Amino acid sequence: MPVIQKEQLILHPRPSSIVAALYTLRDLETDVTILHGPPGCSFKHARLLEEDGMRVVTSSLDESGFVFGGMDTLVEVLEKVIERFNPKRIGIVGTCASMIIGEELHEAVTRVQPDVPVIEVEVHAGYRDNTKGVIIALESALSAGIIDEAEFQRQKSLLKEATMVEKRHGAASKDYLEPSRGDLKYKVAERIIQLLKEGKSGINIMNAKKETAYMFVDINAAVVQAAEKLGVGSNIVNMANLDENLGLPKTRRDARNINEDLKGMGIEIHHIIGGLDEYPVAGNNVNNLIAEKYPDFDFAVITGVPHALPMDNIKDMELFSVTNGPRQVAPLKDMGHNHVVVEIDLHPRTLGVNHIVESETGATIREMVKHV
Amino acid sequence: MSKQIAIYGKGGIGKSSTASNVAAACADDGHRVTIIGCDPKSDSSITLLNGRRIPTIMDLMRQGVDITEDDIVFNGYKGVKCVEIGGPEPGIGCAGRGIIVAINLLRKISKALEEADLVIYDVPGDIVCGGFVAPVKKGLVSEAYVLTSGEYMPLYAANNICKGLSRLDVTFSGVICNSRGAPNEENIVNMFAKEVGSELLAYIPKDVLVQNCEREGYSVIEKAPDSGIADVYRKLAKAIMADKEAKVPRTLDDARLRELTRI
Repeated sequence: MPVIQKEQLILHPRPSSIVAALYTLRDLETDVTILHGPPGCSFKHARLLEEDGMRVVTSSLDESGFVFGGMDTLVEVLEKVIERFNPKRIGIVGTCASMIIGEELHEAVTRVQPDVPVIEVEVHAGYRDNTKGVIIALESALSAGIIDEAEFQRQKSLLKEATMVEKRHGAASKDYLEPSRGDLKYKVAERIIQLLKEGKSGINIMNAKKETAYMFVDINAAVVQAAEKLGVGSNIVNMANLDENLGLPKTRRDARNINEDLKGMGIEIHHIIGGLDEYPVAGNNVNNLIAEKYPDFDFAVITGVPHALPMDNIKDMELFSVTNGPRQVAPLKDMGHNHVVVEIDLHPRTLGVNHIVESETGATIREMVKHV
Repeated sequence: MSKQIAIYGKGGIGKSSTASNVAAACADDGHRVTIIGCDPKSDSSITLLNGRRIPTIMDLMRQGVDITEDDIVFNGYKGVKCVEIGGPEPGIGCAGRGIIVAINLLRKISKALEEADLVIYDVPGDIVCGGFVAPVKKGLVSEAYVLTSGEYMPLYAANNICKGLSRLDVTFSGVICNSRGAPNEENIVNMFAKEVGSELLAYIPKDVLVQNCEREGYSVIEKAPDSGIADVYRKLAKAIMADKEAKVPRTLDDARLRELTRI
């Protein structure tokens, strides 16, 4: 009987499957989600998601609920949610506590019989890969007829690849990753401007995960604006995963919003490399494009999920990457990225927005190029 | 039509003996049977496998092996598919959660639940926590039975089980009396069955043959097919396979339970 190779124990905290399920419910345009568990579970993200238009409420499972079960409370909360918010779509998400004691989320739905779709997500935070939370949410959405089989299979294969990306070069790549603030923004901005001044050619890539693109794209926009100010705009090739026709409804809407903003700024994306949910695989398109058209470029600025880009055809370039993960700095340096910048707190600032959000890195580039 | 049943009852009352004999009797009648032992003792199927203990799902999960259907589903007497869920070491972890995880795994990797005319869940003790009632809550059980003797404590447990089933709105298909030799036992259990809104499906007399066969690793259906007790199990098996009315059970208060045991 083959023994499953024991995966290494990872010491640093990582995003949970419960939170991943919550974000997926938001992408599925769920109006209200009930977290069936203790009041503090996933508190920070629940609050952030409220900024993004999805209400998150809790069944506030307490010690008594752990012992005697919390189904009556869940039923009460579901009834209150329907009465108070009149939602068109409801989510119910499990937590570690409710799943361990064997609560059946469907029981509440059977008892209340809501006349709107309910996406039940029996998930806890004990899965090694947090993408499991997304898959369970999508399975439930598929059963409820909210997405079709083709979209489900597409999402599933992207999630599988996202998990592999994290294992290869991301948060699951080492048993402990020290958080880091990365390189100083003004130093990095200075170097980019210097390369532009020298007439070097650069590839300006955004490979961002969903709504984080609202801020990451600002950095790419700043690079374009700096190049234009220096009269070398034609030395820059822009690539971004901004396909408006791929992904769940919110993902497509985000891509449309960003494309419109870029158009308003007069910035052209030369190559669309995928949808905003295709960050785990869009790097392959970049790899092929560079091999085919831009093998001799001097530098690359990569924002979003830079570690998802294969190194094959960029390893000889000077690489600037911008991430929002302090624990992503070390893996990127190990991969050979010369400059790694962290946009701290990027994600919270991209929730509840529908226009490009200014980044510190972008602002730094713009400010420094003013004085050239 | 396929049946998925759960047999509940106080620990030690004879659920596993009854379940394995019913399984064997149904297999004799040509039914495809799967038995799922949900007890950490993992002895539900032992008498269908000539006394052999099979690896439990929990054992294999603990070892971290890549589990396939062949590792956990074993063919017993006349092709009865035997699965033992097992449990964590005594005193640690959560056996209830183990049942949930194991059943999810079983559904994923095996067709033993789908391709059977009768699936028997042999569930430990009375309904002690959400995990132990997972087969019912997950919609895998269509009929629930309670095994009891005419003594106060087993009846108390049976009544508690009715409470649990009623709470979950699960229909109850009958009471089985496994005699422990208490006075007026059949009457007592019959009354109990009526008062919870059900019926006494079978009275299994105390017979040392059951224990003797078990000691050797067999069901009485296999080892002593011509015995009277084998006939009792065969009748019970037929009653289980027959269509019958099922209702959500009522429950008795403690005073009435005590009174019943004195009739």
